[in-house]
Amino acid sequence: MTSQGTIEAHGLERRFGSLRAVAPFRVTIGPGGITGLLGPNGSGKSTFLRLLLGIVPRDAGAVRIDGVELAGDGRAVRERAAYAPGEVALYGEMSGRAHLAWLLRGREPSATERAAALARSLGLPLEKPVRGYSHGMKRMLLVSAALAPEVRIRILDEPTEGLDPSRRAQVLELLAADARHGTTILLSSHHLGEVESTCDRMLFLRRGELLDESEANLVRLRATRTLRLRWSEPCDAERVRERLARFGEVRCDERSATVFLREEDPRRSLGELLSDASLPRPVDLAFGELSLAELYRELYGAEGV
Amino acid sequence: MGRLRGLVLFSLGYGLVLELLLVAAVLYWPDFLANIDSIRNLSRPIPALGELVGQIEATGVFGYVAGQHFFKACNTLGTAAAVLFGAGAIAGEAQRGTLEILLARPFSRARILCERYAAGFLAFALPIFLTSATIPRLAARVGEEVALASVLLGAVHQMVFLGAIYGVAFLLSTLGSSPTRIALAVLFGTTFSFAIYMVKVVTHWSLFRLCDIDDFVRIDRERALDWSVLLPLFLVGVLLHGASHAAFRRRVP
Repeated sequence: MTSQGTIEAHGLERRFGSLRAVAPFRVTIGPGGITGLLGPNGSGKSTFLRLLLGIVPRDAGAVRIDGVELAGDGRAVRERAAYAPGEVALYGEMSGRAHLAWLLRGREPSATERAAALARSLGLPLEKPVRGYSHGMKRMLLVSAALAPEVRIRILDEPTEGLDPSRRAQVLELLAADARHGTTILLSSHHLGEVESTCDRMLFLRRGELLDESEANLVRLRATRTLRLRWSEPCDAERVRERLARFGEVRCDERSATVFLREEDPRRSLGELLSDASLPRPVDLAFGELSLAELYRELYGAEGV
Repeated sequence: MGRLRGLVLFSLGYGLVLELLLVAAVLYWPDFLANIDSIRNLSRPIPALGELVGQIEATGVFGYVAGQHFFKACNTLGTAAAVLFGAGAIAGEAQRGTLEILLARPFSRARILCERYAAGFLAFALPIFLTSATIPRLAARVGEEVALASVLLGAVHQMVFLGAIYGVAFLLSTLGSSPTRIALAVLFGTTFSFAIYMVKVVTHWSLFRLCDIDDFVRIDRERALDWSVLLPLFLVGVLLHGASHAAFRRRVP
């Protein structure tokens, strides 16, 4: 397999004092496709992304980006990958256009124009100082700059954080289009929904360790069979739990219940459950969705949430 | 780019203040000469000050200009500028949150650091050099002659001296994230050092003994840099710069 367009990390480790931010593991990402990196706050996502590019120096381990080893301070690696930081911090007095030129210093000259075109398509007023930009607009400026260089790999730390739903969809579409051209994209996110709809693969970090992907996939599968109900009035949780147990694993309180359906095809279970007159009247129902908090609880236990 | 524009504007402003002080000082030279007896009497309670007046009296217009421009203006305003530029170089980016972007661009850390170092150094040193170059013309306005070579060599001496102070602030900047605290700490140290220059029993401990009228008069007399002072200062600057590189290699945003 060619290592062009791939991100390979092996035994990467970083400590901050006594805290191990990233523990050694092996992972290969790409070539091509969008990979999502998920984990609770403090799980090491941003540190891992920064380690890949030498933005945070590593204590141990090896990284290869697009066939090039991370050596020294990582300049060669950074030439082959574009990056959007998770933290939105810019120079308030500079215009959006001047920022793009500054962000893309060291890239091919045409990158700035491409970034400007992307930013305009996202509705950014490039001639205005960024001090007048909202948080979301600043985020879009950083994403525009990260999508412009002609590289095979892009590493994006929470690229849609702070964006409204329509802009979020627009940015995700830009990423999908970029991936269709063969670019390898690694992004971190707190939005399970967007990660699921956009990413070909998901990686989960817990306390700097990469969770086993098969375990993560099982949990994701459980998520697709999750039924959540909210009752119109408080009910006897114990009695409801007994009634629902025949459909699968149940979590229940006076106001709501979550059922992880046993059967792959949900139609029979859903039909029976909703026609059961002994159950309280539901006012809200969601199927096939699992909130990020619930997913984390599944993957990491209570301490991970 | 944003920081660069800020540096240029600050540098222009500080250069303008230096030049205005210089103009005022040189134009006051005839009055100073006329009132030298009164000034000597006034400075008597502070022996170090009296010593300065004595030096100026003995060395004429060059000693006076060196005292006004290099010893007084550059050692105070120049030090403040060097400390502010040095303290903000890296810590300012860290505080603003832009250091991550700076480190993510396809440049080596060594290059990033050298660019920052050079920009800050030029911002405080160029105004000293340029304003010093105007001294001969200003002196001619009051009928005096000052050699351009002497003032330019004096400016080099001043720049190397301030370069060492800049190096301290710059090193702390590569380690810290609060430019205000760094600047205050270094300025406290330099102000203290400047203050003890005037205290007879401890004046020899003052850093500013390495950049006072004596040094500039010697430069003028010999038309050469005083390497016995300059070389150690230069080496300190180089060592501090090397230490900054070592610290910046492990720097995290």
